Amino acid sequence: MNRIALKVLSLALAVILAAPAAALAADVLKVGTLSPLTGPYAADGNDIANGARAAVEVVKDQGGIPGFKDIVVQAEDSICDPRQAVAAANKLINEKVPVVVGAYCSSATIPASETLAEADIVMITPASTNEKVTERGLKYMFRTCGRDDDQSKVAIKFIKDFIKGGTVYIVDDKTTYSQGLADNLEKLAGAQGVKVLGHEHVNQGDKDFSAVLTKVKAANPAVFYVSLQNSASGALMLIQAKRMGISAKILAQDAVYHPQLMEIAKDAAEGVFLTFGYTDKETPAYKAFYAKYQPKYGEPGAYSAYAYDSAMAYLMAVKAVGSTDPAKVREAMLKNKFQGASKKINYLENGDSGSNYIIQTVKGGKFTNYWNPETGKLY
Amino acid sequence: MEYFVQQLINGITLGGVYALVALGYTMVYGIIQLINFAHGEFFAAGGYMGVIMLTWLSAQGVPPTVCLVLSLILTMGYCALLATAVEKVAYKPLRNSSRLSVLLSALGMSIFLQNGLMLTQGVYDKAYPTEMTQGGLHFGMVTLSYMQIIIVVVTAVLLVGLNTLVFRTRIGKAMRATAQDKTMSALVGINSGRIITITFAIGAGLAAAAGIMVGLYYGSVRYDMGFVPGIKAFAAAVLGGIGNITGAMLGGFIIGMVEIMAAGYLSSEYKDVFAFIILIAVLYFMPTGIMGENVDDTRV
Repeated sequence: MNRIALKVLSLALAVILAAPAAALAADVLKVGTLSPLTGPYAADGNDIANGARAAVEVVKDQGGIPGFKDIVVQAEDSICDPRQAVAAANKLINEKVPVVVGAYCSSATIPASETLAEADIVMITPASTNEKVTERGLKYMFRTCGRDDDQSKVAIKFIKDFIKGGTVYIVDDKTTYSQGLADNLEKLAGAQGVKVLGHEHVNQGDKDFSAVLTKVKAANPAVFYVSLQNSASGALMLIQAKRMGISAKILAQDAVYHPQLMEIAKDAAEGVFLTFGYTDKETPAYKAFYAKYQPKYGEPGAYSAYAYDSAMAYLMAVKAVGSTDPAKVREAMLKNKFQGASKKINYLENGDSGSNYIIQTVKGGKFTNYWNPETGKLY
Repeated sequence: MEYFVQQLINGITLGGVYALVALGYTMVYGIIQLINFAHGEFFAAGGYMGVIMLTWLSAQGVPPTVCLVLSLILTMGYCALLATAVEKVAYKPLRNSSRLSVLLSALGMSIFLQNGLMLTQGVYDKAYPTEMTQGGLHFGMVTLSYMQIIIVVVTAVLLVGLNTLVFRTRIGKAMRATAQDKTMSALVGINSGRIITITFAIGAGLAAAAGIMVGLYYGSVRYDMGFVPGIKAFAAAVLGGIGNITGAMLGGFIIGMVEIMAAGYLSSEYKDVFAFIILIAVLYFMPTGIMGENVDDTRV
């Protein structure tokens, strides 16, 4: 009698213990994010996590996804470090997330994506622009932002056709991203007849650029190309370049694009040019994103809208097929074409969604559309 | 030639900053043979307190020059207090323990302070009001920015002030005595505990001054900004002969100059390497550093 009672009791306990776990697994859709939440790139990393959060909130406001009781964001820290990114990817696999939005640094995205690919987890990067990200034939790898090779093409076109500058000085900070861009630009410049007066590397986290800026000033180029993977470093370089009295036109790229650039550099940022994706702020998609994002997380950063669109694309696909089966979701994502907050989203077979780089400039403390590489005209 | 002069100016400016931070290392080492790894964090804390003070004071309508001087003094005072508190919590209880435990305590304190800054001030860079220090003098191609002048002047004033304090005052005499022999100086009536605290406070005050000037010079501060200058300043102190005040100043200027010249004439990516190569070379031929002597009584 006692034995039977014990058995019944333990069975009941087991059921009680197992039940919530099973219910959770089936009813909660976990959206993982992987981005540098701490360390030098924390500003962009938090923007990415917040962008994904905003997308989840918008979807929940619209009634959620049938079959799922709740959608939650599980944000993990990659610190822009390959080893940390892989560890975080493993953690997300253990947490049974079906999708990961991230990471940020291409050098972290690539190893993390290999790990996630083994578990058939969909990965959508909102910020890694290195060509290799989508060129390794990973089935579930998508990219919402543009590609470095496209970005360099727009940069060199601008230097040649618009500034009509015959000389350029390049500085990068040796990251996969910044050096990739800088090397691309150098290659293209040679082919297009733009003379490269120098190509210097600085270290990540450097604060003193006086030595390298003195070199730039002595070389007196028409264009000074700043390829740094950090808007704060970019701001420091702009301030010091202004103090030094460098008269070259300064061209930077999308990692320097962040509201904190103007916050730190103030009027030293005026007139700097940047290659960045074109965003139409008048679309309903952007307005929906902004209305959700701004009150909670402040002004959107460079990759907020891309992260928002990445999470949104996934959630829409899940809604369409009613499951998180990666093969089905991939089909749906490839079929799904929609106007996102950042641009028109249309994933191609290799996972890319096309680049939409234009030249923007800082005017009156704000990023403004400046030059359209398609038409060669000012906005 | 103009290029060289410009790099020389850059090097002196950077060297001044390293020298100020290095002084704190060397003084604390001189007096209790402790490498205070939390010293870089006083530099960072100074940078943050500086921006808070500057923003607040200029909002009160205080004229820029007064604003600068006042926030410099207040920030130095704040960091001196912070260092006193740190010393009470992390070092004083370990005064009679092995050197290793104090060193570990210093490392722990460094991590604690850095994370404290991150949690209270956020992970984003904090912008300095740089408007008041824009502009500079131009001599042909050479630019001498006002901020560079300010850094050199403030560094010089602080260095002269410190030298006067150490070699011309009673407190300085007590400091030198404590450095020479803690037990003996206590026997003749010097409160060595208090002298050690004062040394900590002065070192942190100098680091804070460096922090606020770096913030003004570069335009922003960040919670982890103390790490790299901390390491460089430590190298400068060792190079100059750790424990020796004049040596720390010299070491700071040498490290700053080597770094800038390596970046200017070789390549920016190797500048840190060259600073440390010089350090290793000097230590190889002069194990006690440039100004260091084997006899202990030249220490602070």
